Amino acid sequence: MTFAQAVRAPQARRVQHRLHRQAVPHHRGASRPSAAARARGASWEIRSFLVASGVIVSCFLLVLLYLAQATAVSAAGYEAQRLAAQRDELRRQNSLLMIESARLDSPARVETEAQRLGLVRAATIGVVVPEAVAATR
Amino acid sequence: MTATISHTRLRVLFAFFAVASLLLSGRLAYWQTVGRAELLSRATDQVHSDLVVAAQRGVIRDRTGAILATTVELRSLYAIPGLMTDKGGNNIRSTVAAALAPILSEKAEVLRAAFDSGAEWLFVRRRLPEETATKIAALHLPGLGFEMEPKRLYPNGAVGAQVLGFVNDDGLGQYGVEGRYATELSGTPGRLVVARDPANRELALGLRTAVPAKNGDDLSLTIDLAVQNAAERELAAVVEREKATGGAIVVLDPKDGAVLAMASSPTYDPARVGSADAEALRNRAISWTYEPGSTMKAITVAAALDKGVITPTTSYQDVGYAVIGGRKLCNALCKVYGPTTITQILARSQNAGAVFVASKLGASDLNSYLQAFGFGQRTGVDLSAETGGIVRPLAEWYPVDLGTISFGQGLSVTPLQLASAYAAIANGGTLYRPYVVASRRDADGEHRTAPVAVRRVISEETSRTLVTMLTATVDIGIANAASLKGYSVAGKTGTAQIPSDDGSYVDDAYISSFAGFVPAIDPKMVVVVVLERPESKLLGTVPAMNTFKAIATDALRYARVQPDRP
Repeated sequence: MTFAQAVRAPQARRVQHRLHRQAVPHHRGASRPSAAARARGASWEIRSFLVASGVIVSCFLLVLLYLAQATAVSAAGYEAQRLAAQRDELRRQNSLLMIESARLDSPARVETEAQRLGLVRAATIGVVVPEAVAATR
Repeated sequence: MTATISHTRLRVLFAFFAVASLLLSGRLAYWQTVGRAELLSRATDQVHSDLVVAAQRGVIRDRTGAILATTVELRSLYAIPGLMTDKGGNNIRSTVAAALAPILSEKAEVLRAAFDSGAEWLFVRRRLPEETATKIAALHLPGLGFEMEPKRLYPNGAVGAQVLGFVNDDGLGQYGVEGRYATELSGTPGRLVVARDPANRELALGLRTAVPAKNGDDLSLTIDLAVQNAAERELAAVVEREKATGGAIVVLDPKDGAVLAMASSPTYDPARVGSADAEALRNRAISWTYEPGSTMKAITVAAALDKGVITPTTSYQDVGYAVIGGRKLCNALCKVYGPTTITQILARSQNAGAVFVASKLGASDLNSYLQAFGFGQRTGVDLSAETGGIVRPLAEWYPVDLGTISFGQGLSVTPLQLASAYAAIANGGTLYRPYVVASRRDADGEHRTAPVAVRRVISEETSRTLVTMLTATVDIGIANAASLKGYSVAGKTGTAQIPSDDGSYVDDAYISSFAGFVPAIDPKMVVVVVLERPESKLLGTVPAMNTFKAIATDALRYARVQPDRP
């Protein structure tokens, strides 16, 4: 049903209602519904239609929204996983660098390197005692 | 004309459909009720993965924060030979093997043979060094992949190997700190149940049940890497120079029993445990016992001084030997010294003098003091595989044992026990339980180890007197080679014979040792050096003292300890 058909349909039903009412004797006021009453009836049907349409459209939009959110969450989940993997790899690299740093700082390696450079262990170490320095001043 | 179907046929048809419907309904009912769990399980298995999340093993650091042991994920290279094809589908296993061979330092034929072994999946190399893995990854060879596997790394190589222990292929700590604190270091694994897509990616909207892993505790040791390195360097050097079969060094902080260094020879590299000799795995500082020899004289004198049966100036007439229990016990080389004071007994290391002191003391008291100093029992150090040494019960002592034990024969000790006893002499008379782990850090924060004072062994006055006597032993006595310029040193040498299997002693083989502390007043460290079967034999105490000097010099400089002598 097109939108135009849908709009026309309530009017057709209204004509049938009018004929039916004419067949039944009523008091004068009732046999000829006022323009306001007719307008109210038309308005109610249009409103019903609009409400129904609104509900359908809303439901459709809600489903769309849900799907969009679900897709976004899913995509964000994949992105989070990628970032977590990246974080783990960076942590691993950091650990490897810390180990390399510790290896380079190792006293045994430093001694070997010093010997390779021709350095020798100091035979004597001069010690400056604070009290002795203070006494000279 | 209207076709008619006989009632019989209709009934048969109806019955057939009825039975079929019944069977289908029954089957449906079965799968909906009894078989529901199985179906659900199959469906769940297709999308859910239930993984054990490994806990990160704790890091071990030295007292300055330097990393001694840590765990890192390394890449293991695996191969799926069936996928080693080019775009045309041709087998290129030879090409892959040839490309890998130089990087892995392996023959291409060996790799090719592994690929052709018929295995659908195989590890080519496990836990590759990072640079090697990066080189291989850059080649983008088909049929190869990487899998992460944890590996325990020791960035200082063999330094501290026996203190640290190692982690075996099953991830279990063995020996040393790794063995003793295996539970604390390993942590508790977690669990992760998630829904996954066909690409094995975790679904954000699917089921997710996670029990996080509790990582292992980090440990900070009392070990000082610089002192440890000096101890291991000097031990390796002296063992090589003296062609000794082994040795051990212990460096203790006498104020609280903290172990600053502990070295043992032979040693091993924790990265190559598989090729290590079984003897090298043993930490001789705690699991090797020996007869201490004359270093025990200081304990005998300490007991007699504390008991009040002698003073430093008590004298006796030395005739070169002492007779006890019907046995004649001689000085070294049967030397005769004549009138001798107790201070001179230590300074000259007279066996007969030690017997004289022990006779004054008596077997019961000597035994009590040996027990009080911690001999014959484990020190309780927080390392695995400690042994307690042997001090026979008093009831099993022969009369001669009073004499032999007074100068360190007839009992066995560990280097750590001796260091602990000398620490008690150095610190004013309190025996502390040696310890290696200074603090443990978990999710709740840091938990420091409180030093444990086991008992008071001798009085402060006895301690002061004995320190003076041991200082004289270094300054003017037999241990003069241990003297240090600018620092007072107290100590005692020891030369002991090695018991043989037949109950006698091995000919011409000795264990040489030196136990001392520096500075003598307010000491910063106790150092015990023990050498097994040095080439210098009876003069083996000299290299032991030289080793003490080298370690003490390094450690005092490093700790910026001010000289206490001009």
